[in-house]
Amino acid sequence: MSKAEAGEAQPTRYRIVVAEDAYLVREGIRQVLAQEDEVEVAEFCSDLSSLLQAVDRHEPDVVVTDIRMPPSNTDEGIRAAATLRESRPEMGVVVISQYVSPHYAIKLFEDGSARRAYLLKEHVGHRNHLMGAIREVASGGSVVDPAVVEVLVESRTRAKNSPLAHLTPREREVLAGVAEGKSNAAIAKSLFLTKRAVEKNINSIFAKLDLADDTDVSRRVVASLLFLAETGTPFQGATSS
Amino acid sequence: MTSRTPVPEDPVTVLDDPTALDDHVASDDVPWTMSARELRADREVGSQLRPLRLAARRPTRSESAVAVAAVAAAAGAAALALAGGIAASPDGFAFMLALYVLVCVVAGLAWRRARPWSPYGLALVAYGLAASLYALGTTTQPLLHSLGVLLEIPGAFFVFWLVLSFPSARLDSAGRAVIALAGAVLLVGCVPAIFLLDTLSPTQPLARCGARCPANPLQLVDNESLARTFGHVDAVGHVIVYGLILTLLAVRFARASRPRRRLLGPVYLFAALLFVAMGVYQAGVNLFGASAGADSPGGFALTAATILFPFGFIAAIVFAYAYVGAALASMVREIGVSSSVTGVERVVRQVLDDPKAQLAFWVPRSRRYVDRHGRGVVLDEEETSTWRSVARDDGEPTLAIVHDAALDEDPELMDAVGAETMLALENRRLQQDLLDSIGALRASRKRLVAVAAAERRKIERDLHDSAQQMLIAIRIQLELARGEVGPSSKLERQLNRIAADLDRALDELRSVAHGIYPPLLAEEGLAAALTEAARRASVPVELELEDVGRLPEEIETAVYFCCLEALQNAAKHGGPDVAVTMRLWWEPHLLRFSVSDDGVGFVPGQTQEPTGLTNMLDRLGAIGGRISIRSAPGRGTDVDGAVTVSP
Repeated sequence: MSKAEAGEAQPTRYRIVVAEDAYLVREGIRQVLAQEDEVEVAEFCSDLSSLLQAVDRHEPDVVVTDIRMPPSNTDEGIRAAATLRESRPEMGVVVISQYVSPHYAIKLFEDGSARRAYLLKEHVGHRNHLMGAIREVASGGSVVDPAVVEVLVESRTRAKNSPLAHLTPREREVLAGVAEGKSNAAIAKSLFLTKRAVEKNINSIFAKLDLADDTDVSRRVVASLLFLAETGTPFQGATSS
Repeated sequence: MTSRTPVPEDPVTVLDDPTALDDHVASDDVPWTMSARELRADREVGSQLRPLRLAARRPTRSESAVAVAAVAAAAGAAALALAGGIAASPDGFAFMLALYVLVCVVAGLAWRRARPWSPYGLALVAYGLAASLYALGTTTQPLLHSLGVLLEIPGAFFVFWLVLSFPSARLDSAGRAVIALAGAVLLVGCVPAIFLLDTLSPTQPLARCGARCPANPLQLVDNESLARTFGHVDAVGHVIVYGLILTLLAVRFARASRPRRRLLGPVYLFAALLFVAMGVYQAGVNLFGASAGADSPGGFALTAATILFPFGFIAAIVFAYAYVGAALASMVREIGVSSSVTGVERVVRQVLDDPKAQLAFWVPRSRRYVDRHGRGVVLDEEETSTWRSVARDDGEPTLAIVHDAALDEDPELMDAVGAETMLALENRRLQQDLLDSIGALRASRKRLVAVAAAERRKIERDLHDSAQQMLIAIRIQLELARGEVGPSSKLERQLNRIAADLDRALDELRSVAHGIYPPLLAEEGLAAALTEAARRASVPVELELEDVGRLPEEIETAVYFCCLEALQNAAKHGGPDVAVTMRLWWEPHLLRFSVSDDGVGFVPGQTQEPTGLTNMLDRLGAIGGRISIRSAPGRGTDVDGAVTVSP
């Protein structure tokens, strides 16, 4: 039931480069993507430098990269995304991660959320997840794994005097959808709502949270993510108090 | 606004700032324990530490015997002088002579008690007892009278020797020359006069007999003018001898080191008084016809100076004791505030009044003394310095004081200073040992904590890189398999259940790995890791985190786990509605953090304190930080920490 099948666009074959250092996971991804006619994997790499070389060689539409790879095994995937933002602004990047920490997702979106997706690795097997993310980033959108958004919503709801306390449960679900990078239509579909109901919810949420609504979905993602990620009051430094 | 909590002042537990200790240890002085170099002292002279023999001690039998003899001699002399009746003032002379005898003997006894090795004690006792024979000079029996008068000759020479050989009991060449000159004066002036004079009279104004003197049995030729001429020669010779002695004393005193002056001073002063009075009196009487009476100024001065002379020796000892007392007092005071070997050495120099004094430390392994720089100790060629070792009770030497040789004459001072120095240095060594072991303990704790942290990181990496990746790979495969089976089949339901289990396993693993060591801490530092910890906490957490930048790993780890521990304690024990505020900020050279909750609190010390508290203390202690935990029922709990961070 993808967009392509729905006939909204000609079936595009996305040229893809995958970077993942764990052999078993790499093989899993290979099998997942082998099922998809829409994608053509140009190369599988296992570290940052071979990924960047493969990008030079193949000029892919989308890069699917592990977050943590050699050489330093920290956040190579996010660094690759930042590098590619500079050199190839049109290229989509899906970062697959074992970290549910929102910190990494926010860091990925620091210099813009367009054409960026943050997925948890264990959800990669679900074909709709990975393929959905590839399609989103290829078409300029953003995706945040629902599990990551969930962490944010939960911690933000827990906080004292949380602005989320003013939201209805439905509005919270819609906000999560927004933060995940879903379009209004996608939110409507996942929550079994009409598109109009979603729009009404979103207007209400953004008014309650004092956020500027943005019809651009990816900018909306960043705004809602940053809002959710806010922890406590900004610290007043020793010099100012 | 943030309310600033002060640096913990009245904490439940305070772990001292280690830099304070380091400052203490790291002085620019070479620590006195540095004594391992293989150097050998050239000579081994000096003496062992003697027990301090200050005043109170029962008299020995010989001392009692001498005292009895002295009293008898003094009484006998007085009786003789009174009985003779020819002295200018029989009762005056009797009193003076008895006093003189007693003072000389007492000076000798005191000297002997203080310095048993010195010949002056015996010499003064012998001189005092012998001086009682001067009483013979006031008797009427001509031969005994003459003997009494002539005894003044050896008596004078003995006084010359006492003064000129002081304090070594050895005459130097100048001293010998003066005595030889005095001998010559005796031969050319005094001896001829003895055989020419009608009468012989004692020199002492109180003892003079004048016309009452018995005839001189030694007179060979009765030639008054010749006798007067020789008398003049004798008087001039004496004045020259006294002048030379006074000059010699002045020169010696001027050249003496300060410790030696302290010793020479009293003896030289009273001797100088005696010789001046003697010279003035003899010149006045024999050359210028001045009055020889005891009530004349010259006579009075001579009488007084004679009686005072032996007091010089008593004064030397009394001064030595007094100086020891003052020195010890100032030493105890000064050593209390000096923290280094150099400081102790400075105090020793000051107290001994010997600017060249030096400490030497015994190195048992090589059986030699070294100075505070670890060099062998070499005494100078001129023998102006010597050294005295200080041994412990078990006979093992500990240190030696190299000092001016004159201080050998000041044994009370040397013994007291030696004992005090040993005490100070032993204390300092114990303190040093304690600091060393505290330092070693802290270093080993730091190592343990560092090893534990490294181990945690390794386990976290292993979990992420192997177990988690494998589970993820299986999860992907499971999803692929799910796509292959028909919907609503029994197999699909089973696969769904497995998938749900696997997701839980992954969550669990992620949470365990994060608890073991949050990768964010290593990658992004304290603020990011604490933010993440706050997000994961089950209670609301307000964060006020200053961007403290990156810090040494051990500090980040310790502070992170401390905050986490406090956060978990608050969540676990703070009650259902607890909220936590976590702060992190900089003060100059100090990283500060606090975790405060508004929970139910506890009574410090009363309730079983959670093991978390111990962990926090251990972690912070290992990096030399301080932490205070304040709580009261209903008042919440405040955990406050501070870590010194060197720039």
